Amino acid sequence: MNRWKHFFKTYFLTELRAGLWLTWRHLFKRKVTVQFPEERTPQSPRFRGLHALRRYPNGEERCIACKLCEAVCPAAAITIEAGPRESDGTRRTTKYEIDMFKCIYCGFCEESCPVDSIVETRIFDYHFEKRGDNILTKEQLLAIGDRYEVMIAEDKLEDAPYR
Amino acid sequence: MNIEVLVFYFFAAITIIAAIGVISVKNSVQAVLCLVLTFFSAAALWLLLEAEFLAITLILVYVGAVMVLFLFVVMMLDVDFAALRQGFVKHLPIGLLLGFGLFGAIYWVIRFEIFGSEKVPEPAKHEQGYSNVEELGRLLYGEYFYPFEIAGVILLVAIIAAISLTFRGRRERKGQSVREQHRVLKEERLKIVSMKSEPIKQGDDA
Amino acid sequence: MSFMQLLIEGFWIVGKILLILVPLILAVAYTTFAERKLIGYMQMRLGPNRVGPKGWLQPIADVIKLLMKEVVVPSGANKTLFLLAPILFIAPSFAAWAVVPFDAELVLADTNVGLLYLLAMTSIAVYGVIIAGWASNSRYALIGSLRSASQIVSYEIAMGFALVAVLMAGGSMNLGAIVEAQNGSALHWFWIPLFPILVIYWISGVAETNRAPFDVPEGESEIVAGFHVEYAGMAFALFFLAEYANMILISILTALFFFGGWLNPFQGIPYLEPATDWIPGTVWLLLKAAWFLFMMIWLRATFPRYRYDQIMRLGWKVFIPITVVWLIVLTFWIKFEWGWWFDGRGIAAIGGVS
Repeated sequence: MNRWKHFFKTYFLTELRAGLWLTWRHLFKRKVTVQFPEERTPQSPRFRGLHALRRYPNGEERCIACKLCEAVCPAAAITIEAGPRESDGTRRTTKYEIDMFKCIYCGFCEESCPVDSIVETRIFDYHFEKRGDNILTKEQLLAIGDRYEVMIAEDKLEDAPYR
Repeated sequence: MNIEVLVFYFFAAITIIAAIGVISVKNSVQAVLCLVLTFFSAAALWLLLEAEFLAITLILVYVGAVMVLFLFVVMMLDVDFAALRQGFVKHLPIGLLLGFGLFGAIYWVIRFEIFGSEKVPEPAKHEQGYSNVEELGRLLYGEYFYPFEIAGVILLVAIIAAISLTFRGRRERKGQSVREQHRVLKEERLKIVSMKSEPIKQGDDA
Repeated sequence: MSFMQLLIEGFWIVGKILLILVPLILAVAYTTFAERKLIGYMQMRLGPNRVGPKGWLQPIADVIKLLMKEVVVPSGANKTLFLLAPILFIAPSFAAWAVVPFDAELVLADTNVGLLYLLAMTSIAVYGVIIAGWASNSRYALIGSLRSASQIVSYEIAMGFALVAVLMAGGSMNLGAIVEAQNGSALHWFWIPLFPILVIYWISGVAETNRAPFDVPEGESEIVAGFHVEYAGMAFALFFLAEYANMILISILTALFFFGGWLNPFQGIPYLEPATDWIPGTVWLLLKAAWFLFMMIWLRATFPRYRYDQIMRLGWKVFIPITVVWLIVLTFWIKFEWGWWFDGRGIAAIGGVS
């Protein structure tokens, strides 16, 4: 009996037809595609995207060149050179670069920062057009921070109770 | 000079050039391809003789099957081409001698009087509905039925002989039996156990 | 025949060839679009919808992109053969269209050996694959070409036997005559007496064109893209074009051999036949072919890839025995004129020919 059942199942392609029927039904189902630039999926405030360097409200850059982020970075994407600032002699970075090709967006730099200077924003749709553009300099990072400060601050505030 | 003659000379030239290519080209894969081209142009020549069935069969059997296996073998072999052609100049005289000898023998048998195009009567052109396939079928399955069937049986014997020559007894290999795999039922392999979910003990969140 | 006449005739033939090939290339372009859309829909996605209204210009954009890209010849590759391979692959797949009839009289070459010619053309396409793999100087390409070649050669046998059945049923190797032999009604078509052959021919066709679920030659997860890994730009486009042209060819041939080609499916039905009489046969043929093309895409969206030994087993141990058995059944079917398919072809009609 079982043999016959198996025979029929094999030669009448029962299981294959069941599969075809499934895809046929899905052909007419509602589509779930998110039309990206017009529609976006909701994001968490903890989303880890493009990096930014923040400033204090008075305009002073937060980074104190402690190099913790450079040390913790698993992909060795961050390069920092430090030195006293010419105007007041405080310890600052003279060079702060992130190679975005190396970065794996793990967020360790953000976690390690004692002054909440380096952060990862929610921005994920960016691109580079030339070779070399992938290395973000300190000026670029600060500019990103200035531009999205409101969003960054809100996200940090929302996440603060859980830290 | 009509178009057919032109086409004939075109394909005849390709046949000869490709045939020379088979023995003179450096790369053996290219030599095989030259042989394929030779078969092709020979098939085109047969088409000119209104033997379309034979022409297509030549392509199907020789080009489509035999030469593919040839190509496989040649590709898989690691042939040192430079070493192969070392003796070319040394053996050339012998080759030429043999070639001319063979040509002479053929010439001796056929002779020039029978050879020219004016000696052989031009085959009669066939009318529109003529089917080469049908004629061939009538000949093979009518007039030459027994020779044809005997040839078939000989081929069958050859196939069986080839298999039995290469077959070296049952191998004790560990392989997957697709038949058995297909026959497996879900119930034989999968057991669904219904059990209660166990509550996590307090303080044991590792 | 004067030279002028010859020239005009030559141009007329070239014109007819273009009349087949240009729509074919356009059809290939839009088959890729249909494939992406349909598979998208079956996976509950939308598919390409950005270029042009509803994405309708997507294939054009793809073509432009492929034309602009550089054809890279890998180092250590045999350059002549590397560039020859795509041409060797596409030439037979285009040449096969010469014997395909689009309507009762609409055929480029009305030859008596159409069926054999088709088989020959599909069998030469292997050369393009083997040479592409060998000339690329790449392991993946070589493995892919070996897989592809052995698959094509194996399924060619099953396909050849299936075509023998069609030839027996049709009583001719001329494709037009095969379709005419199915004249009558939708029940006169060969899909009923040749049903197992239809299934086998169809599946072998899918396997021959290296389509999913038989696409181990280009199994992305193992060997990247098989025999055409190293090809880029236009050379890759030629492979792509040939593959899709073969798909369309197989679909049209299935319609011709088993589903009455250009014949009206409503033939012999009292009211529907006069009502649909004005539709040209080509439309019917293309509609039938479109359904099989859809089936190919549908199969790809549904089934996971076969394992390699399973493919070989299916071809050699399942398809070939079934076709041989059905050939014997068919012999009796024809000789005893069961049903209404083979009227006037049995023992009673031919009697003592030999």
